[in-house]
Amino acid sequence: MTLTSQKRLRPSVRALFAFAFIFASVPAFAAPAAAGPANAASFDILDFEGPKMKELYYVVTRDMDAQILAMSTGKLDVLSDIYRPADVERLAASDTADLSLASTFHGFFITFNTRKFPWDQTILRQAASQVMDRRRWTRDLFSGYAEPLMGFLPPISPYLEPAVTVFPGGAEAARKRLAGAGWTWDSRGRLVAPDGRGLPLTKILCPPSSVAATTTEIAQMAAEALASIGVPAEAEPMDFQTMLARVDEQNFDACTNAWTMSRDPDSLYAFYHSLMDVSGGYNLSGIADPELDDALLELRYAPDESSARKAASRAQKLLSELMPVVPVYSRYSISAVRRGWDGVFATDRATADNLYTLLSMRPREPREPREGGERPIYWNIPEEIRTLNPLVSSTAYDWTVLGTIYDVLLSANPYTFEDIPWLAESWDIGTRPREGEGKGEEKKEGSVLTFTLRPGLKWQDGRPLTVDDVAFSMLYIRDRNVPRFYDSVKDIEDIQTDPETRTIRVFMANTSYWHLHNIGGGVLILPRHILEKVPDWRAWQPANNPHEALDGTPMTELVGTGPFVFRESRTGEYVRMTRNEHYMLYGRNSRNMYMKERTAR
Amino acid sequence: MSAFLKRLGGAVAVLALVLALNFVLFRIMPGDPLTGIMDPRFSPEAKRQLAAQWGLDRPMSEQFAVYIREMLSFRFGLSMMTGRPVWEELRSRVPNTVALLLPALLLSAALGIWLGVKAARSRGSKTERLVLLSGAVSFSFPSFFVQLLLLLCFAYVWPLFPLRGTSSIPPPPGAAAFFDYLWHLALPLFSLVLMSFGSWALYIRNMMVKTLGEDYVLMARARGLPRRRVLWNHAFRSILPPVLTIFLLSLPGVVSGAVITETVFSLHGAGRFLLEATNSHDYPSAGAAFFLLALLTVTCNLLADLLYVFVDPRVRRGGVQ
Repeated sequence: MTLTSQKRLRPSVRALFAFAFIFASVPAFAAPAAAGPANAASFDILDFEGPKMKELYYVVTRDMDAQILAMSTGKLDVLSDIYRPADVERLAASDTADLSLASTFHGFFITFNTRKFPWDQTILRQAASQVMDRRRWTRDLFSGYAEPLMGFLPPISPYLEPAVTVFPGGAEAARKRLAGAGWTWDSRGRLVAPDGRGLPLTKILCPPSSVAATTTEIAQMAAEALASIGVPAEAEPMDFQTMLARVDEQNFDACTNAWTMSRDPDSLYAFYHSLMDVSGGYNLSGIADPELDDALLELRYAPDESSARKAASRAQKLLSELMPVVPVYSRYSISAVRRGWDGVFATDRATADNLYTLLSMRPREPREPREGGERPIYWNIPEEIRTLNPLVSSTAYDWTVLGTIYDVLLSANPYTFEDIPWLAESWDIGTRPREGEGKGEEKKEGSVLTFTLRPGLKWQDGRPLTVDDVAFSMLYIRDRNVPRFYDSVKDIEDIQTDPETRTIRVFMANTSYWHLHNIGGGVLILPRHILEKVPDWRAWQPANNPHEALDGTPMTELVGTGPFVFRESRTGEYVRMTRNEHYMLYGRNSRNMYMKERTAR
Repeated sequence: MSAFLKRLGGAVAVLALVLALNFVLFRIMPGDPLTGIMDPRFSPEAKRQLAAQWGLDRPMSEQFAVYIREMLSFRFGLSMMTGRPVWEELRSRVPNTVALLLPALLLSAALGIWLGVKAARSRGSKTERLVLLSGAVSFSFPSFFVQLLLLLCFAYVWPLFPLRGTSSIPPPPGAAAFFDYLWHLALPLFSLVLMSFGSWALYIRNMMVKTLGEDYVLMARARGLPRRRVLWNHAFRSILPPVLTIFLLSLPGVVSGAVITETVFSLHGAGRFLLEATNSHDYPSAGAAFFLLALLTVTCNLLADLLYVFVDPRVRRGGVQ
């Protein structure tokens, strides 16, 4: 998960119909023509034979107004992260693009500092959650482009527990709850704790309105809500970095914060386990509850999916009682694809700016060929690429490009977020007993992940991808403590490979179901023949280093297995990619060949 | 000569101070340089690895020594945002910025000076009223508004200019690429001239109005000198030192870039880089950029001092300190 400022909110998902009531002012979203299977049950990546287009340009257009103009004039085909309601309405009215909308992994919270009075009082936090009318705030502030958040995970998380404690809303109910617990009010209407202590002024830290207008407004509304039950409170806008520093120093009463979480409920451990209440940790509220800690540890080291679900559910139920934070809203993601393209793929959990669209896009009507070639795809990125070194790159825009070059072993079903095969055609997770490290030490268990690669996989330079490459990628990253992948690979103890059966067995130092996603979905598979020649991975600039494909074609050291091959980057202008004709889903490499090979085996 | 050496010594002292402040201020500013480069799933342990990777876990004295070495050798180290050498980052951006802002400065100054002198010469006329009005309007509108309006008119409604960037996609081959570059810079350049000539015009007009009432100007007129010569050789020349100072002190701005213009026209320039480096606490990039800007400012200041000798005879003769 990542802490996001208002302007850097990232995409994702939920069904529009679920919150139809807030969509009174929202224009109709045209359903893009779906490519491939139209439902979760029949989803199979082998139905996506592509890429269809030879050339792809990632074009840097920064200003949102310029992006809309470029979209309207056909200079752009795909536009992501449209966040201003006016732009959505403008595009919807222009008849030039199809819009898609989905819920996201974003979550906005008001966090209390539970380390000090009065926010160390659970009953007060519960009362605060009662008076904060998230539904009304979301409706008033976002004109339907966000949904109220009632739980501690994003609305689309497969692990969201709906059956949690919900306190009745409103100031009256909150006052009743407080009065029942012995809280009183002084002559000025200020709340007094049962032990007679008056409440100090609560300052809710937030960024200034010039940076994040809606966040400041929410902080003000939260302060007003608290005042309605006699808690003196006010919003305190400040520079975003200063706010982060104050929160990290634990020098705050309450603060606003936004996160982008993931499909796994790992954010629960990071945000609410007492071990994460350290400098640089994510437990901002400082909540420390033994029962919650126990549930979160159970979640972190769950050996299989069902125990993970059980632990996630238990943790969320406890959190709904403890209320260290008040969840407020989750943003929708909105993207646009210019009309005239077939093969656009979108679900209620993924907007159309996804890999499946990229694979399937083809012009509805053949256009006038430009210099003898077909029309390229122009895909907007709003910021320039910072670095194309996959080992250090951190921005979403770098990964937009890198994500079309490199692959992982497993991916997620865009309908359900369940695991689906990618470079690995099958996988398994089990446990094995581990040797004790010292005399008399109790033997422990560790997870064993087994992945079987698809047959006939090739790197973009034409060389075969082997199990050796996979093992090398994981060990390379682990042995060098590459920060980006550190948490995913640090528990790898050993790896065994079998080239005959194309299997890789990864032995972990402990048991956790999440190892499957961290290793299978989180570790990039990198080419050994390139990486072992890199003298310093930190200073590696693969896009600048020439490399030769097997057939002699010049390329760069950015060699992956993904659908597009990096060709050229003009910093600040564009990145040019061409179709990877060795791609596992391209033409003859795709279903026919795959099925033939499977049958032959 | 000794006065110049004294100023040179002062300039070196200022640069040394800037170097030290650059190091201290960025480190005492609230914020964490790792925030901008952190992966979403980083644990505190992974953050420590990242800090070690960038040498942020070393003692401050050691970090200062590395910083001074990198700055004085003009290597500047690696950018924390991009992982590339800072020098390369600046080299890819500064030419675009200079290609846009230097002509913009020259054109707006030339246009503003010409209009300012013209307005001062014909006081009370329609010309003066027009210059005053256009000058006030020119720098009263916010730049993003003017630039978006221009973009809407000349890149969308009448698509005479491109919407973004410094090159077509894909760029045309050979010499056509150069003209393509100029075509891409035309609208941003026009917008900058449009927004900045006004302040020059009003400033020059006000100074000229005052100067044209001076005794020596009346004397020159009384001597029967041609009006044009009085205007440019006597009156304008006397206001040249402050004009020169303003011009030279605007030069560092030519390198530091124009953030809003770069954003609206999606230009790859130094302005946004500097802003992002500062916001994300990219110590090597921000340190290098501010150091170079200070160096340029100090150099332009020294240059202004030197040029005074040529434009103002009183300085040459030692009449003015």
